[in-house]
Amino acid sequence: MLVSLNEIKKLVQIPSGVSTDELVKLIGSRLVEVEGTIDLSKKYKGIKIVSVVSCEAIPETHLHLCQIDAGTGSNVQVVCGAPNVREGMLAVWLQPGCIVPQTYGGENFELGVRKMRGFESNGMLAGLDEIDLGDDHSGIVEIDPKFAKAGDDFAEKFELNDIILDIENKSLTHRPDTFGLIGFAREVAGILGVKFEEPVVKFGNLDVTTTLSADQLGGSTSDVEKVAIEVSDSELCPRYSAGVFEVSSAKLGSALEGNDYLTLGDVFLAKAGMKKISKIVDATNITMLLTGQPLHAFDYDKFVKVGGVKEPKIVVRAAKKGEKLKLLDGKEIELTESDIVICSNETPVALAGAMGGESTEIDENTKKVILESATFSLYNERKMQMAHGIFSEAITRFTKGQPVAGTIPALARCAAMLLEKPEDIADFEDKNSLSNRENVVILTTVEINELLGTEYTVPEITETLENVGFVVKADGEKLEVTAPAWRTDIHIKEDVIEEVGRLRGYDNIPLNLPLRPFIGADKNPMFELKRELRSILADRLNANEVLTYSFVSKDLQEKVGEDVAESYEIVNSISPELQVFRQSITPSLIDKMYENIRAGHKDFALFEFNQVTNKKLGLTDEKVPEIENHLAMISTEDFYFAKAMLMQMGKRLHVEFKLEENNVAEFPYFEKVRSAKVTLGGETIGVVGEIKGRVLRNFKVKKAAGFELNLDEIVKAPRNITADLKLSKFPFVERDLTLKVSSEMEYAKLEEAIIRNLNETENFVYKVTPVSIYQGEDNGTKNISFHISFSSTEKTLEAGEISGIMKEIEKSTTEIGAETV
Amino acid sequence: MEIEKLKEELKALNKEYAKIKTIPVEERKAFGVEMNKKKQAILDKIKAAEEAAEDANVEPLDITAPAGFNAPIPEFKQGSKHPLMTELDHVVDIYQAMGFNVMEPRQLDDEFHMFDSLNFSKGHPARDGYDTFRTSEGFIPIAHTSAMQNRALTTYKDRLEKGGQIAIVIPGRVFRNEDVDPTHEHTFYQCEGVYVAEKANMGELLGIFKNFFETYYGQSLKIKTQPGYFPFTEPSFELLVEKPKSLGGKGDGWLELLGCGMIHPNVLKAAGIDPEKYKGFAWGGGIDRLVMMKYMLNDVRYFESGKLDFLEEF
Repeated sequence: MLVSLNEIKKLVQIPSGVSTDELVKLIGSRLVEVEGTIDLSKKYKGIKIVSVVSCEAIPETHLHLCQIDAGTGSNVQVVCGAPNVREGMLAVWLQPGCIVPQTYGGENFELGVRKMRGFESNGMLAGLDEIDLGDDHSGIVEIDPKFAKAGDDFAEKFELNDIILDIENKSLTHRPDTFGLIGFAREVAGILGVKFEEPVVKFGNLDVTTTLSADQLGGSTSDVEKVAIEVSDSELCPRYSAGVFEVSSAKLGSALEGNDYLTLGDVFLAKAGMKKISKIVDATNITMLLTGQPLHAFDYDKFVKVGGVKEPKIVVRAAKKGEKLKLLDGKEIELTESDIVICSNETPVALAGAMGGESTEIDENTKKVILESATFSLYNERKMQMAHGIFSEAITRFTKGQPVAGTIPALARCAAMLLEKPEDIADFEDKNSLSNRENVVILTTVEINELLGTEYTVPEITETLENVGFVVKADGEKLEVTAPAWRTDIHIKEDVIEEVGRLRGYDNIPLNLPLRPFIGADKNPMFELKRELRSILADRLNANEVLTYSFVSKDLQEKVGEDVAESYEIVNSISPELQVFRQSITPSLIDKMYENIRAGHKDFALFEFNQVTNKKLGLTDEKVPEIENHLAMISTEDFYFAKAMLMQMGKRLHVEFKLEENNVAEFPYFEKVRSAKVTLGGETIGVVGEIKGRVLRNFKVKKAAGFELNLDEIVKAPRNITADLKLSKFPFVERDLTLKVSSEMEYAKLEEAIIRNLNETENFVYKVTPVSIYQGEDNGTKNISFHISFSSTEKTLEAGEISGIMKEIEKSTTEIGAETV
Repeated sequence: MEIEKLKEELKALNKEYAKIKTIPVEERKAFGVEMNKKKQAILDKIKAAEEAAEDANVEPLDITAPAGFNAPIPEFKQGSKHPLMTELDHVVDIYQAMGFNVMEPRQLDDEFHMFDSLNFSKGHPARDGYDTFRTSEGFIPIAHTSAMQNRALTTYKDRLEKGGQIAIVIPGRVFRNEDVDPTHEHTFYQCEGVYVAEKANMGELLGIFKNFFETYYGQSLKIKTQPGYFPFTEPSFELLVEKPKSLGGKGDGWLELLGCGMIHPNVLKAAGIDPEKYKGFAWGGGIDRLVMMKYMLNDVRYFESGKLDFLEEF
């Protein structure tokens, strides 16, 4: 939203000590985020209003050679190509040195003196688009001689020595009143600690105030047939007010009459980012920008004709399925049941609050106009905005929920711009389902101060609230606060407390800290486990932590053999790449391998912690999907690398992972015979192993091994911290042992046969380290070499004892069929 | 050469020393002391000469080379933690030290936790601001960590009844239906905070932030607010922190870091907490931006790129 500071200043007396910078800062800290400011005085610097003294066509061109008077006493020569340039007119002159406003902040095109067709041209006479006040490029801007004279400063005359605030209106979602300049200015008064004087506009003998009621507006019902308003559901349309006037009463030659001259109204619209259209439409738009209440104008005769009735019957209802409506922009839309439509009798003629229809559009033959000022359900407006992709200034306001109290003042204001007196309103009707009920909140200053942490007094609070239109009745510490009619957002104590805190400035609240007992915070076991594992994997095992998206493509799941039907599917995904919530992490990691390999990385291990789910896991007691916390690792290595990493991790965690034959259905992408099920305390927690060659081919990766584990089991597992660690101060005996066994012999069996003897010896400490597993030409056998070291915690071992142990080891390994080499 | 000469000198000195037997007994002591002094001086010289000779023999190397002749180039494979996770840990550590417990959000949740329990009325346009994804079943990949607020309040409300407080932080991953560009990601990280006690006020909320960011950036910092609107807090506002020196701040710039406010009574009610009796405040902020500023990263997409060239920097 663009807000002109000049317009605000017209409505609020800014205290002299407050600079523009300070004012912008205050608005930013107490009302709404100001995303940026645009200083128009720089943009329009040096631009002059000039009269065209003479204008001669340059032969064989479309150009004219003009002498202009810029009020300096001597004429200046300008070449102009506009068809409407003529002697005697007042125009806008961009003199040499001026930046063309259209290019301001972009290429900053600076005008100079140049030759055109041999004639010197000093700067240019500008069109509306060139001065960035519209898109019209059909001719140059003309100015009313009654309004200005040659030599006037353009910016000064047209109130362009202004600062425009670019407002981030998200934080005003609950404040429809601030979407009009009057409401915005009221807030500015409030934050400056100034009482806001509600603006009053004269309309004949009527004072149009911000709280004007239907009774006050009245209107005559003389020579025009009566308008009937029927609202099918007051939830959809809490209030509908309509006035009828004749184009002749507005002293317009035609309903499309705009202005040949550039006016302050045009500039007012342009500063808010809107375009001039015609006097009538401009009046509705200017009113909306001032009051926040959007209006719409219908052609009366067309309206009656479409309805097939004599007198206009306005019906507001939900659209019916299958109904169609051709909008003002020429697009025909199919209506849905959540659309609100304005109908003439039975036929929809406008999409309420969003856009008018073509069938009742005002044109040059329009004699009478129905002016609509209504409020609609913001919920429906929001759906309509989404369904039809309409993001007009009007619907932006309707989705904030306009207060019902605003329709009449807006209607009267708009009429006052077009008509001389209320009696010129030929007919006026108002259908209001909501009484102008006042929102009253009762609270105490103690409650205010306790929530804010302040010590504001009754008079301070009262003044703050009354500055912006609240009525406060104080009885000691007790306050009865009545919200003004435009404040539809005030319902509970906290709403009032927010007003006090905000308007007086949150930044003025003294800082303190909560008092609490001196007790430590709980550790979150899962969070801490991940933190611990992250350190183990990254710092000790040299793996790299990655984060990948939780959403994956169905294609990815198919490639790795996951059952896509079990995935939770995102219905509004950004792309097919992000279509389903993932069932496991490993596929995403495999996907990241190729790119890294291509980037020249050879040996690496990636890991990630994240949540996964699938439909098979079912729902929790809260009826939300069960979620598992997983850890996945993928490496460019083989099973044994992944296994070693897993076991190291277990060792550091002091838990014992066990491997069994892989019979896990989850993680179908592991190669069955080159992977293992991982268990912990008898529970299956995941799989470790190599990824299927078939799968890897899809990713252009040759080799990959890793693991994926469910951390929810690990976090529950008891940690077996070694309690009776034995250390020896005596020398260790070192022996190498190579055993030849059948190829089928399990390594664990052999190792167990060695360790058994060492285990059985009292006061022994030992290490058995595998050195190599070798297979020569004979496929039937393999040689496994061990390095054995042992010591007694009691004494230095003697030669006899050592050879005794080695003999025992040889005996038990021979028993299982091993041959000592 | 010099060593040979010194050794000769030493030999000569030893011969001289042998004369000790020929001099009067009363002079022997002084003679011995004198001779020993001379001997030590020669020994010191020999030692220095030997060390100098040894030093001269040490083969010099090229300190700019990665390895010596015929030697393997030393290489240490480095693991790394993801910078977002490291930062999240760091943030959580500060809150934990302040006494906040940690709860992680569930990434797939429902309408109730995402919106209803947070005082978003059904169909309210404020819901649009969150650009939520949805599954065919209507579940929502959470668009803010506030989706855990109701559970945090429900889980810990017995502490209130025992006269204590609820103090929780919720770090986690959130999702928004947004097109990705250098400053926008559909997947990012937030940390939420919730505090409820019999008496809780906005001054405390501001105090905690100031304290947090001063600890986080390791310097004293100014803070300021700007109004905001969140259905689940009332009053609501946004918190800005002075740009710290470590990010090139000179005391003038501001960082917009948090959305926050006093917890709306309806949010407390939805968790079965009496809003007349207990008050609270809540806040939430993004982690990605903190990390981007810290390491001067110019593209948020690096975080989920899975590129080792990026990860190995951390």
